[in-house]
Amino acid sequence: MSSGVENLKSKPANSFALGRFLRLRWERFLEESSFIRHYLWKYRASVGLGLLALVLVDLMEVVPPILLKESLDIAIEGKPLSQLAWIALVYLGVALAQAVGRYGWRIYLIRTGILSGRDLRARFSRHLFGLGASFYDRHRVGNLMSLATSDTDAVRMEIGAGLLVLADAIFYFATVPVAMYLLSPQLMLLAFIPLPIIPWLVIRNEREVHNRSEKVQEALGQLSAMAQEALAGIRVIKGFAKEDVQLGRFRAKGEELAGLSLRLARVQTSFGPTLDFTMSLGLVLLLFVGGKQLIDQPVDAAGAAVTLGTFVAFQRYIQKMVWPMAAIGVALSFYQRAVSSSKRLKAVLNESSDVSDRSEVMAVMPKGAWKTPGGVEFRNLGFRFPGNSIEVLKDVSLRIEPGERVAFIGAIGAGKSALLSLLPRIYAVSDGMLFIDGIDVNRWPVEELRRQVGFVSQDVFLFSETVSENVAFGLCEWMERDSEKAVVEKATQLAAVHDDVVGLISSYRTRLGERGINLSGGQKQRLSIARALVKQPSILVLDDVLSSVDVQTEEKILQGLRSRPGRNTEIVAAHRISTVRDADRIVVLENGTIRQQGTHQQLLADARGAYRIFYEQQQLKEDLEHYAEAVELQT
Amino acid sequence: MTAENIMEQEEGEIGAIRSNHLRKLIGCMLCHPAPLAIGLVLMVATTAAALLEPRLFGFAIDEAIVPRDWSKLRSLSAIYFGVILIRVVSVIGQTYYFEKLGQRVAQDLRCRLFSHLQRLPVSAFDRNPAGRLMTRVTNDISSLSEMFSAGFVALAGNALLLVGILVWLLVLDLRLGLIAGTVFPVMAILTVYFSARLKVAYREARTRLSALNAFLAENLLGMKIIHLFNRQSAQLGRFNEVNERFTDSQFATVRIFALFHPVITICSGIAVSLVIWYGVGSVHDASLAPGVLVAFLAYVLALFQPLREMADKWNIFLSGMASAERVFSILEWPVELPAGEGGELAPAVPIASLRGHIIFENVWFAYEGDHWILKDFSLEISPGSQVGVVGHTGAGKTTLISLLMRFYEPQRGRILLDGKDLRDYDKRALRASIGIVQQDVFLFSGSRADNVDFWAGTGKSGAELGERGGSLSAGERQVLAFERARAANPSIWILDEATANVDSGTEARLQQELESSSQGRTAVLIAHRLATVRNASNIIVLHKGQILEQGSHGQLIDLDGLYARLYRYQRARELHGNQNV
Repeated sequence: MSSGVENLKSKPANSFALGRFLRLRWERFLEESSFIRHYLWKYRASVGLGLLALVLVDLMEVVPPILLKESLDIAIEGKPLSQLAWIALVYLGVALAQAVGRYGWRIYLIRTGILSGRDLRARFSRHLFGLGASFYDRHRVGNLMSLATSDTDAVRMEIGAGLLVLADAIFYFATVPVAMYLLSPQLMLLAFIPLPIIPWLVIRNEREVHNRSEKVQEALGQLSAMAQEALAGIRVIKGFAKEDVQLGRFRAKGEELAGLSLRLARVQTSFGPTLDFTMSLGLVLLLFVGGKQLIDQPVDAAGAAVTLGTFVAFQRYIQKMVWPMAAIGVALSFYQRAVSSSKRLKAVLNESSDVSDRSEVMAVMPKGAWKTPGGVEFRNLGFRFPGNSIEVLKDVSLRIEPGERVAFIGAIGAGKSALLSLLPRIYAVSDGMLFIDGIDVNRWPVEELRRQVGFVSQDVFLFSETVSENVAFGLCEWMERDSEKAVVEKATQLAAVHDDVVGLISSYRTRLGERGINLSGGQKQRLSIARALVKQPSILVLDDVLSSVDVQTEEKILQGLRSRPGRNTEIVAAHRISTVRDADRIVVLENGTIRQQGTHQQLLADARGAYRIFYEQQQLKEDLEHYAEAVELQT
Repeated sequence: MTAENIMEQEEGEIGAIRSNHLRKLIGCMLCHPAPLAIGLVLMVATTAAALLEPRLFGFAIDEAIVPRDWSKLRSLSAIYFGVILIRVVSVIGQTYYFEKLGQRVAQDLRCRLFSHLQRLPVSAFDRNPAGRLMTRVTNDISSLSEMFSAGFVALAGNALLLVGILVWLLVLDLRLGLIAGTVFPVMAILTVYFSARLKVAYREARTRLSALNAFLAENLLGMKIIHLFNRQSAQLGRFNEVNERFTDSQFATVRIFALFHPVITICSGIAVSLVIWYGVGSVHDASLAPGVLVAFLAYVLALFQPLREMADKWNIFLSGMASAERVFSILEWPVELPAGEGGELAPAVPIASLRGHIIFENVWFAYEGDHWILKDFSLEISPGSQVGVVGHTGAGKTTLISLLMRFYEPQRGRILLDGKDLRDYDKRALRASIGIVQQDVFLFSGSRADNVDFWAGTGKSGAELGERGGSLSAGERQVLAFERARAANPSIWILDEATANVDSGTEARLQQELESSSQGRTAVLIAHRLATVRNASNIIVLHKGQILEQGSHGQLIDLDGLYARLYRYQRARELHGNQNV
């Protein structure tokens, strides 16, 4: 009685829980398959045609055993031979139809996968092109590359091959058992006796393979790390003559990997054959029980339920069921891989740039209007690099007038680079304010702002394209292309790199990054200055870019910059006194705050000031260099 | 990972088959006779069972069902079950043992390659970036392993099955066999033709994929520049072009497959139709047993499976061969250290009772061409003395050490140790006798104890250091490197800018420890900071590969040359604190 009451109580609760579980599971499915569904819908016409072709193939798949049955019945039961040629012809027709179908599904279904892969790659890359420095500081390019290639590929495989395998299995299940049932319900039941074990096998196998292959991946990663270390640290190893110890460790780790791989192989290799075996049990049952049925049948039973033809047709059907059974597992693993890749891709796709146009952004300039005067004001500016608690800038306030030349000097880590990188909004300004010509940088359209600010970074990056293309990178799209050559050469002359370029194998058409083309650090720096000059910025920002050039070249570049037509505001960060001494104003930064400012002469006047100390040290250093040069001349 | 690295991984995966590489690979397999033999036996068993199965079913029809012999059916069913069991078990065993073979061979090659890399001269690492060599140890070895475990089995197993079926068809019934067989040559030719086209298409797709990867990697690395110049949409447009080109090449491979498979279907259809047409007639005439026909049809349908699989696995095989080529070419690079079979190395034994008398005799050295780093360099370091070496970056200080360690050999002149030419010593024994601490401390992942004991063999436990000692401060790393060197109890000490990154307190401590450890042993101290070498009995000032000044600290100050100026400069800097401008 009491149990009955309990049943009554628990039943609705259970069904409620089940409903909830199913709903959650369904929601999870919708969430994890969103990419897959998106692209399937986008290419629905192609998917539809592909599935139609697949249906054709799978329907045709049912016919041959029937033809076999008919022909055997002719052979044994003595039906008229005249039908035989027809049967052979029909068989040929079936093969042709299947050929057409197979061509169709490959072209349409696999094509859908490839197109989806292309789209996903493009979408992911478009997103990457929109993310700023704070994102790239946190993510390694290698990882992003593997997302853009391997992970988009996993989704592509699911949409192409994965869908195909799944649909194929479903169609098989929908057709072959029906044909079997029509031939003989009894034999069908017999053949399917071993069937229920299969889903269990598939699920168990999936789990084991997943666990074990994770271990293999881990060991492989450790082995790679070990090899990486041993190669990078080869001098240490050789210096200590410990090659043997390294080899021993490597060997042991390799053994571990081999062992784990074998453990994985043990489950992987037994899965297919086990499935096969399960289905083959059906064949044995067919032979044994079905054969007995044939034997027991009266000899002259007209229209016997089971003929030898039926029997043989069944053999073929059972063999055909092996593939769809295995296909479930294959489809499952395609799907799981696609889901975990989607998850990784989404993590990046959900990132947004911290530097983007706000809705209340004002369009500062009419299109085509050219320059802003170039006044800058830092107001109580503070800064920390994203995800880092160290204060790089503290309460920096400074006004720079349009056309003024301001130089920042200070030790490494004083905050020069951070301060300068805020001007083109490489990082977002969130603590304090930064104004360009009286307008908050956050209210400038990013594109417009970056057109106005010519920023040359201390870590030079040139593309593996021609010299000319690299310098012309700074050209705005609306600038006249025909004068490109003249503009590029003008810029390289100003940056004192023209002569170097002319000296290269193919002059301006020399491709960078190819074997044998090695520009010096100084040449690269000057090219990157030229690239920024091409843009004709209102505010030119040079972040410690003259460190790799000698003093004479530096002088030439500085002169070039001073003499350039339409010169505007110039902001420079430097190590060397020689770079900054002629600036209108020199600002000494220390630990993220402004310590001193003034002209060279004014700052030198303070005998105990930081600038004076820099100055004296550099004098001594120059003295030393001159002495060394003099000695060299003597020898 | 850099753009170069990424491109490196994508480099042409499809190679040619070279008979000498094939011979070497077979040699690798023969080193593991047990899994090879078991695998081969099981492969034969699998093939035999697979061949027997359809025939047995047909036989049961002819011998038991048609004559209505119940007891025979019973026993034949049992045998049929047995054959299936044998096939399944031997398939599992075969795959397992070949996987084992693949893993064994991979491990052998991996260790041989690693050992070879460890024994290459340092100059080989100047020319070849570590990333590229890494790819050899990891990617190429896994593709080789796959070739052994999947490629070889599939090719050999399927070839065996193919031949077995063809022979069996002819044996069962010669006429019917010949009729069904007419399609086979056409099939084989088509397979070869499509495989060749596929190979070309795959290679094109690979090339375009690496172009895509290289483009994307470069743009990701230069994203800041792209943003600063507002070139996002222009670059993205170019990416889409590259992406489109790659997509087209993928279509090209699909189109080939799309034609290949239907063609096979049609061929197979023709063969089966012929067999039905002719075979059923024969059964009707009673010149052929129905069971034989049933078996025959099963064989004809099975004929194309191995052919298809061989075509599929051909790529694994080819990419394995390409990897083999790269791996074997590294194994041919000349090494500086000999090794035993399989790359085995014995532990190095330091040279006994070394006094540490070092003489550089008119040594000339250049890394490349005639850019002489050391020019006619001569120096004598008496046993047990401390020598300080100072000079600008590029003066040749570190080169001096590299020559002493025999990382490189001088082009002219010679170096003597205890009166014997350095070249007459065993390299590893020599290196094991020298304790070196460098500025750029390279620590290995693992614990503190791993980094010290692993080099010495004493037992101490410690905390994990993280990747290359990332969790330690510069000073701690330096101390650890010093302990690591001391653990080996060297006869000669070299400190190459060893105290450049540590605070003065730690420096003093290291200095003291060094003095106690190097009591009566030769020590070479290289330093930027003159305070470090101040106490050395002899200080040499190196400039552009030549000795400019030489003497004790006092003598050099009196000389008022480069050393004296350097000394004043550094004093001035230290007085003003750590203003590193």
